[in-house]
Amino acid sequence: MNQIGNDDEIGTSADSLDLSPRPVSARQRRKRRPWPAIIVLLLVVVSGGVVLTKFLTSAIDYYCNVNEIGTKSGCEPGRRLRIQGVVDEGSVKNDGVNTKFDISFGGETLPVTYDGEPGGIFKECIPVVVHGILTDGIFLGDRVEVKHSNEYEAENPDRVDDEASTAEGTACLQ
Amino acid sequence: MDDAGFIFASYIITFGAVGAYALGIIRRARKSSREVPRDERPWL
Amino acid sequence: MTTTDTNTSTNSSPRDRVTGTPFTRGLGVVILAGMTLLIILGIFVSPADVNQGESVRIMYAHVPGAWLAYLAFVVTGISSAAYLWKRTRSLTWDRIAGASAEVGVLFMGISLVTGSLWGRITWGTYWTWDARLTTTAFLFVTYIGYLAVRGLGGTHQQRARRSAVLALLAVLEIPLVHFSVQLWNTLHQEASVAGRGTDVEMDGLMLFTLFLGVAVFTLMYVWLLLHRQRSLALDDMLDDSGLDNALTARRAEAQGVAR
Repeated sequence: MNQIGNDDEIGTSADSLDLSPRPVSARQRRKRRPWPAIIVLLLVVVSGGVVLTKFLTSAIDYYCNVNEIGTKSGCEPGRRLRIQGVVDEGSVKNDGVNTKFDISFGGETLPVTYDGEPGGIFKECIPVVVHGILTDGIFLGDRVEVKHSNEYEAENPDRVDDEASTAEGTACLQ
Repeated sequence: MDDAGFIFASYIITFGAVGAYALGIIRRARKSSREVPRDERPWL
Repeated sequence: MTTTDTNTSTNSSPRDRVTGTPFTRGLGVVILAGMTLLIILGIFVSPADVNQGESVRIMYAHVPGAWLAYLAFVVTGISSAAYLWKRTRSLTWDRIAGASAEVGVLFMGISLVTGSLWGRITWGTYWTWDARLTTTAFLFVTYIGYLAVRGLGGTHQQRARRSAVLALLAVLEIPLVHFSVQLWNTLHQEASVAGRGTDVEMDGLMLFTLFLGVAVFTLMYVWLLLHRQRSLALDDMLDDSGLDNALTARRAEAQGVAR
């Protein structure tokens, strides 16, 4: 059944309606610019450029490991760095203003002073990335990100607090 | 539960977005379908 | 939602027969059941993680979202290739490509938002420019661009040809995104299930919940793809019929129906 031009199909209330197809010429159709699509496309090009810049300037290697400071290109001391290492067991000290802890990776250890309270799931024995500047052998951090692993292990609800350190201990032994 | 707000939010956003998109498809299709003869729809 | 009932045209299908079929309705029921089970398992039954605590529950929405977005973009690539390969230049392939890309953008968006919430809890930040997040953002933006290119106008065949070429280029980004966590130092963790090792480092019930999430997202993808593909077909038929959009409005007016 063909709907177009068949007025009976429409029902009584539409009797007065002119349903003859109005020809739309190719030129007319082309004239109607698809502005929404063009605007979205422009935004896409701009944000794509921003993302690409971010990739080339910041993202390629997100951090240097502790043992790469001064040895890997882009990890020279004196410039702003992001350093990855595992927080040493028992090294975290908070004096109310700063948090001090050591991070280790590949057999080398770096003392960190962070102005504030680290967020996320920060604790001992887990890998973190600290943003900051290395000054006089101490890494002055202004941002700490917890680099959690891709291992997932069920938390045992029966385990009491002093035993909870077993799991952390094994993380530190690795 | 720690961070319950974040966890619930992520599930609500997930299924809310899918639901809203699904409803949007159906509504738009209903609008268009009034112009298209039924026997031209190969899936019916 | 209210207009279809008052439409007396015999051409108008019953409201549930526009893009739906018995198959998709059955699928919808299964999806709702799976969704309910996923919420129960994901939020309440599955265990908290030793290091991440309760926040690991976000994974069951975040990871399936990302995987199905990859799959959707690959389907877009394959159907674009099929469109270009087949002599018939079938617009069905083009519409599958377009519908799949749209669903993929939706899922990628879900994955970005849930990942951002997860990152706030575990890393301590909503967003950072590491290689995984940056390449994902680029992929997301690319497919929004793809959808915009589809909307640029011209004939259906022009649209199909233009977007098919773009889709074949865009799909090359997916391996870059997936392997970014191995190629470079990233804040984002490496893959637990689809990683290089053969051992899956995940608790049993967590893994089951994750796979349930993948199953539910796969079914949602199929449902959305079928419906969107059909609604795109309706839109194309509408264009072909030579009736302009004002007709819809005029008929609605004549029948005294707003919208």
